Amino acid sequence: MRTRRSLSWTIFYAAALAGCLLFFFPAFIIRPFRYQSPNALTMAMAVRHVAPWGTIAALAVCLVLAFALWESDNRRRKIVLTVVLVLAAFSAVMSRMNYFEWMFHPIDRAQFESEAASKLESGEMIIAIRFGNDARAYPIREMAYHHVLNDVVAGVPVAVTY
Amino acid sequence: MVNGRVLHFYLAGINNQNFLMRDRETGTWWQQITGRAIYGPLKGAALDLVPSDELTFGEWKSEVTDGKVLAPVAKYAKKYESNWEHEVAKLPVVISFPGTELKSRDIVVGLEMGDVSRAYPWDSLAKQSPVLDRVNGTPLLLVVGPDGKSFRVFVSRIDGKDAEFFLKGETESSSSAGVPPAVVRASRPHMGSDESKPQSPAAPAPAWALLDNATASEWNFQGCAISGAARGKCLDRVPALKDYWFDWRNYHPGTTVSKH
Repeated sequence: MRTRRSLSWTIFYAAALAGCLLFFFPAFIIRPFRYQSPNALTMAMAVRHVAPWGTIAALAVCLVLAFALWESDNRRRKIVLTVVLVLAAFSAVMSRMNYFEWMFHPIDRAQFESEAASKLESGEMIIAIRFGNDARAYPIREMAYHHVLNDVVAGVPVAVTY
Repeated sequence: MVNGRVLHFYLAGINNQNFLMRDRETGTWWQQITGRAIYGPLKGAALDLVPSDELTFGEWKSEVTDGKVLAPVAKYAKKYESNWEHEVAKLPVVISFPGTELKSRDIVVGLEMGDVSRAYPWDSLAKQSPVLDRVNGTPLLLVVGPDGKSFRVFVSRIDGKDAEFFLKGETESSSSAGVPPAVVRASRPHMGSDESKPQSPAAPAPAWALLDNATASEWNFQGCAISGAARGKCLDRVPALKDYWFDWRNYHPGTTVSKH
């Protein structure tokens, strides 16, 4: 009984640690202002790729074991279980969030105005593309914030990036 | 678009100050500067590069009719940095190439001709424009526009024959500083299609023009001859990217630097 219980604890902690690593490892590697080696980046992308499901699986394991290990009169144990569960849940939620888009919100549906209506000053830099008669200008000041814009120009799907 | 499949991209991270994006359809990871899939189901695929220009709004307005401008998103308009160039330049760099000719945050115009790549430091390009060069056997013409900020790169060949270009009214001893901005409306080569726009009859005579030594024609900033024997002809365009030296060098390890 005792060994079974300690095995449950081991699996509980291991699952929670795996869940947290699935989120924190790629988050740590893919962060700004720090050098990333090609290998570290590839590993981070691989982990990030499986993280949405991996963290859920880890959280599910933690939940089942927390239920089995729960003792209503053991306050310290309840705190430990809850804290670890919260961490595992945090990783599961964050792995499904794109926090880069919290900083740089995407443009969901691009709106355009005529060149005459635009309040842009003539010295402002723009990225210009043109297909046939469809000429478009993407102000760099705007693209430097949003970074990526999906657009369709004269039927051609384009990704505008800066 | 890859193999006929339309992909939609979103910002997914940053890699040595060049951003990563993923597509909603497959979750593949793409590097911004190269347009290549670096991880995921589409790894190895590459997006087609759409010809584009980096121009001032004024220059663009003078070239197009009925152009459409991406409107600011009201919610985020406050976050648009009017001084973005200055602000970005202050950010730290994580990769540098000590011993190379330039500093990390030096701005270059980079281009690739086949597997040969070359960088042109912006400051001297702006001072010396037009710059003539030859990369991988192709004669090139790099031009900074009448506004001093827009730029374009062309193949400096007229009807298959190499040509040299120089700024109209400029002699060997004078400099191009203080050239007044021109209002030019003329046909414009683009996107590989040969469609062209009729010249606007109301267009004033351009103050800014290039001359070539082969036909003595006048050329506008769009690379089209507006008078002289070559009138109506347009030069072929060469894709080029304005970038920081560290970023260009990182993705083009074999790049040379022009000493123009």
